[in-house]
Amino acid sequence: MPIKAMTQEWMDAYKAAIQADPEYKGLAKDWEGSVSLVVNPDPAKNVPEPIYLFMDYWHGDVGDFVVCDKEKADSAKFVMTGDYARWKQVAYKELDATKALLQGKLKMKGDLPYVVRNIKTVNKVIDILGRVDTLWPDDDHK
Amino acid sequence: MAYDSDLSFNYFGPTKIVFGANAARDVDIEMGTLGGTRAVVVTDQGIIKAGLVDGITACLGGRCAGVFSDVPQDTGVEVVNAGAEFARKNGADIVVSVGGGSVIDTAKGMCILLTEGGTLRDFNGVQLLSRPQTPHMVIPTTAGTGSEVTNAAVIMDKEMGQKRLLVENFNVPRMAILDPKMTEKLPPLLTASTGMDAMTHAVEAVHSIPHEPLTDGLALHAIRLLYKYLPVCVENGSDLHARGQVQIAATMAGWAFGNAMVGIVHAMAHSIGAVAHVPHGIANGILLPDCMEFNLEDAADGYAMVAEALGVREKGMGDSDAAQAAIRAMREFTRKIGHPQKLSEMGVGGKDIEKAADMSLSDGSIVNNPRIVMDSAEVLEIFRKNM
Ligand SMILES: [Fe+2]
Repeated sequence: MPIKAMTQEWMDAYKAAIQADPEYKGLAKDWEGSVSLVVNPDPAKNVPEPIYLFMDYWHGDVGDFVVCDKEKADSAKFVMTGDYARWKQVAYKELDATKALLQGKLKMKGDLPYVVRNIKTVNKVIDILGRVDTLWPDDDHK
Repeated sequence: MAYDSDLSFNYFGPTKIVFGANAARDVDIEMGTLGGTRAVVVTDQGIIKAGLVDGITACLGGRCAGVFSDVPQDTGVEVVNAGAEFARKNGADIVVSVGGGSVIDTAKGMCILLTEGGTLRDFNGVQLLSRPQTPHMVIPTTAGTGSEVTNAAVIMDKEMGQKRLLVENFNVPRMAILDPKMTEKLPPLLTASTGMDAMTHAVEAVHSIPHEPLTDGLALHAIRLLYKYLPVCVENGSDLHARGQVQIAATMAGWAFGNAMVGIVHAMAHSIGAVAHVPHGIANGILLPDCMEFNLEDAADGYAMVAEALGVREKGMGDSDAAQAAIRAMREFTRKIGHPQKLSEMGVGGKDIEKAADMSLSDGSIVNNPRIVMDSAEVLEIFRKNM
């Protein structure tokens, strides 16, 4: 049963999927710090308001994974912002996150060299995101 | 070369180019086309001493809002802050940079602060801006960095002990005036090393993962022009025709790598530059051939195109043989232009390369390299070959 994207239930499922991944812990052993994703609203695609998602990653462990407000999102070590449609492309791996950053399709506040050094961890969590059975706001509601 | 059938890319190159001997004299007319009324000139002491700024301020006349020349070889956060303060105080609404990479990057940082306020530390990230910035015209005095047409700037933050990389599509220079007269006095070694920076941009744009037909076209023609005219410039600096062709090549290579990105050569050059202060172009020129060797299997088709551009692909050569011919020609080329051959000539020691090899893995360029770099030992091996 697919879960509605960008809801708390979906964040819980994403966190569980990361924890269940056999390779994640080892890959992410050097990663410290929280990441938030800001989804710009797109009323035409049933995203009327901006959505803020906060995820805490710490040396292979995962902490808070919550839908939050702007203030909490801004407090993360890395804040990535993009249009709803772009994020969906990232989840489906139609859009490479690093390429999207350099082309201006996504914005990122935070230290780029750190992300590059840990690019395998970043790619891994995107990989896992793709595995969460998701119902997107603009998918057909059957 | 074949491209993927699902090829998709963005090409971004919004800079107007004005080319010609004495074109810099049009600075006042051209700034008007960008809506500028008062220009702050950003430069450095060396360029003032070389007499390259006087003509420009004379052309600007009353439209010159002042000259900011406190730019060191490697610019920093406090330099940009001071420059922006100077420009603001003097009521500038357009920035004209006259110089090489450090000057251009300083001006890029200033444009952001003039538009957005605050200090550079407020802009730690990638593509954070959401509107066009203060217009920036570049008059390059070297032919190599390509910075006149790219969205990136590198600015040292001493307090944080690291370089800040600004990547902002809203902050690409609006115009570049390429005037061969501005590079006429560049001494042979600087001509060779900045030229090898351009050559490296072009070759790396061809081998990098995001390369595409537009960037390949630009890069390959840049390689042709550099191969033909850079030795002429080294031999006879006052050959303005050759100087102009090399400037054009450097700008084309800038467009190419500004979109296709660079790879392992730049990752290594940035790192050895940070650790042992090897000038950027020299590090690139020394490392390029062995990095091509490292990438050979993964980029043979690209290097085969490079071989064609260099005129060294013989009839019947497969891609791999052609690629090897390109590498041989590139080594020979660096000798021909009197470029340094070893990092040890630049005072680099064994400890330096160990540190730099490690640093290379967190350089943004490494992710675009065609051969995936698994660990720092591979990078160290390339450094060792060049000691
Ligand atoms: Fe470069």
